[in-house]
Amino acid sequence: MGLFSQIWTVVVMNVRSLPQRLWMSLAAVLAVSVVVAVLLSFLAMSNGFASTLGGTGSDSVAIVTRSGSQSELNSVIGRDSVNIVSTAPGIATDANGQPIYSAELYVVVDGIKKSSGTEVNIPMRGISPEGFELRDRVDVVAGRMFEPGTNEILVGQGVIDQFSGFDLGQEVTFGKTRWSVVGVFSTGGSAFESELWADARMVQDLFNRGNSFQTMRIRLAEPGNVEGIAEMIENDPRLILDVDTESDYFSSQGEALQGIVYFGWAISIVMGLGALAGALNTMYTSVASRAGEIATLRAIGFSNVSAFFGTLAESVVLSVVGGVVGALVSYSFMDGLTTATMGPGFTQVVFTFEMSPELFKNGIQLALIIGLVGGFFPAWRAARLPVVTAFRKVA
Amino acid sequence: MKDLFLVFKNLTRKPLRLFLTMFATFVAFLIYGTLTTFQVAIDSGVELSADDRLIAVNKINFTQPLPISYANRVKGLENITGVTHLNWFGGYYQDPQNVIVMFAVDEGTFLDVYAELIMTDEEISNWMQNRQGLIAGEAIAARLGWSVGDRVPVNSNIFSQADGSSAWEFDIVGIYKGEDAQTDTNSVYFHYDYFNETQSFGRDFIGFMGIRTADPQLNEGVIKAVDELFANTPYETETVPEKAFNQAFIEQIGNLSLILGSVVFAAFFIILVIVGNSMVLAIRERTGEIGVLKTLGFKSERIFVMVLAESLLLAVMSGALGLLATSAVVDLINGITAIQLPVLILKQEIILEAIAIMVALGLITGIIPAVNALRLNIITALSRQ
Repeated sequence: MGLFSQIWTVVVMNVRSLPQRLWMSLAAVLAVSVVVAVLLSFLAMSNGFASTLGGTGSDSVAIVTRSGSQSELNSVIGRDSVNIVSTAPGIATDANGQPIYSAELYVVVDGIKKSSGTEVNIPMRGISPEGFELRDRVDVVAGRMFEPGTNEILVGQGVIDQFSGFDLGQEVTFGKTRWSVVGVFSTGGSAFESELWADARMVQDLFNRGNSFQTMRIRLAEPGNVEGIAEMIENDPRLILDVDTESDYFSSQGEALQGIVYFGWAISIVMGLGALAGALNTMYTSVASRAGEIATLRAIGFSNVSAFFGTLAESVVLSVVGGVVGALVSYSFMDGLTTATMGPGFTQVVFTFEMSPELFKNGIQLALIIGLVGGFFPAWRAARLPVVTAFRKVA
Repeated sequence: MKDLFLVFKNLTRKPLRLFLTMFATFVAFLIYGTLTTFQVAIDSGVELSADDRLIAVNKINFTQPLPISYANRVKGLENITGVTHLNWFGGYYQDPQNVIVMFAVDEGTFLDVYAELIMTDEEISNWMQNRQGLIAGEAIAARLGWSVGDRVPVNSNIFSQADGSSAWEFDIVGIYKGEDAQTDTNSVYFHYDYFNETQSFGRDFIGFMGIRTADPQLNEGVIKAVDELFANTPYETETVPEKAFNQAFIEQIGNLSLILGSVVFAAFFIILVIVGNSMVLAIRERTGEIGVLKTLGFKSERIFVMVLAESLLLAVMSGALGLLATSAVVDLINGITAIQLPVLILKQEIILEAIAIMVALGLITGIIPAVNALRLNIITALSRQ
């Protein structure tokens, strides 16, 4: 019998005899599955957050903010600056030859988080019809569009899901003014859905912003090319501004939950060490209980290599099964789970946990490492088991 | 005593298995200890907030401003022992990522309301006299390498001066300590007047007010009085106890205790399975011996107790090592000044809770094999050999 068929025979034998060591094997599977489930839950959280913010910006839209402001909330741009920047080269124009841009406000109001019942920061964007044109897709999914010049609000789908206080038809009071919620909008899952939208001029009045704005969004003539605007800003000492494509601006903000990834890995690796101890325990027990079997195989001519790989395979099978179970559990409980957290803009961002094949691979890799290391040392022992002693043990 | 020796011998008869089982348990308690100290440190922001301190913010949201005149008007209300005002500066030092928790405050009233910040009289008087004076907590001072006498530029990501510059010059005149070991010393305070006169927009507005009441029992009345005072103005206020304000702020991030709690639970679940299984196995391997012990006249109850003692000993020994390692990790983390972290303290409550968990774990993992041993019939035991 060739070496490979020997190994194969032993592997099959070991795996088929697993039910005899049911509880010990189950313990190893369970331990690995919990570790993988914990890891993937953290990764799915940060992945979902990053893809929500990453999917928010468009490459063909530039965003102009006050230099050094870092977030829309902290930015200020006067009307005159807006006018100057709108004459920069590289801006797309409409049918009448006018530059396509939108000057917007971004203020924070209180909402109530449904899950905790506490007050949280909800962003309210002052926007104009041009601003709608600059989002790739905006659908009013319920109610109607706000009437410019009135105290009417559109709420994002995410706000409706996660926060109370802004239901369709509801009246809201900010300071001395009353606003009514007239519609719900969707932007295909991007961070804009975590916002309230109202007419820019009305928001200026309410928040005493005079004729100033906070950000300016510009349709680019050539996607990704902001050089014309950047050059103008650099050459005009009146303009203390930054320009970036909207997609770059939001992607860099999406890295805010990167810390969660490190935390998730750190915790999973430490827990993985615990599971590894469990796997080693299981496999040493397995080798001990199969000592007679291994000795018999050796006696009839099987090599110690086959004993080694047979044990290693058993361990890997257990861990991978654990890994798959953990990944499936994490997938079924976490994928699609919607929640909200404080985003980099100091406001709530509604996002959805998102599993991906890449993450799944990470989980299986971790399981494989536990299985390989946890199987190696017991397999070594199995390979070196002296035939005579093993028989003596059985007797 | 003899029994204890036997228990110990049983426990150590397979050193490798003992080591692995103990290691798994050790890991779980290390995770428990570390995450729980973190949780306690995060909660300490809420726990340590003064009961007699209220925070009054703009009703629309706390990022919206209030007129500076409000502080004087509140001062006239009853049952109030101090009012001060603070304004978020959006400060960063050298690198925009290097954010500083920094407020422009009214120096004359600030320390009356925030009495838990401890400085020497000399530092206080230096601060009062120096318009560009800045006081920093010892944690942030350590992180940024600041000491008294330094002159530092700090940028704001919100405000700018008339010449367009976003950098302000400050003299560090005091490093304050916290009244409690976990009092937050990551904040920096400077003079509102210096800020107000140099910044280019939104003058004479403040971020929020800190109000100290004569007695926490009077909070409710004061809250009502303050909010009524400004009702129906363009700048209505919302006044809440500091504790509630801090709690809500943490809730904005998400349910941290649920996340940390789930991880700790998962870790314990793993070791429960692993340790429980190896205990069952260890006792099953000794079936014959237990038969012999019973034949020798050992009472079943005595064997039951011995098995339980074995699993208890295992859990307590590895748990204690886990806590020991936790305290080393806590020291390590507290030594990090490069990033802003809360001060971790392995409190007595955490240790007591850990001990309770060790005992529970020992009992749960030992109970099945112990009952098996208790019920074991001598004849079956010996014939199974």
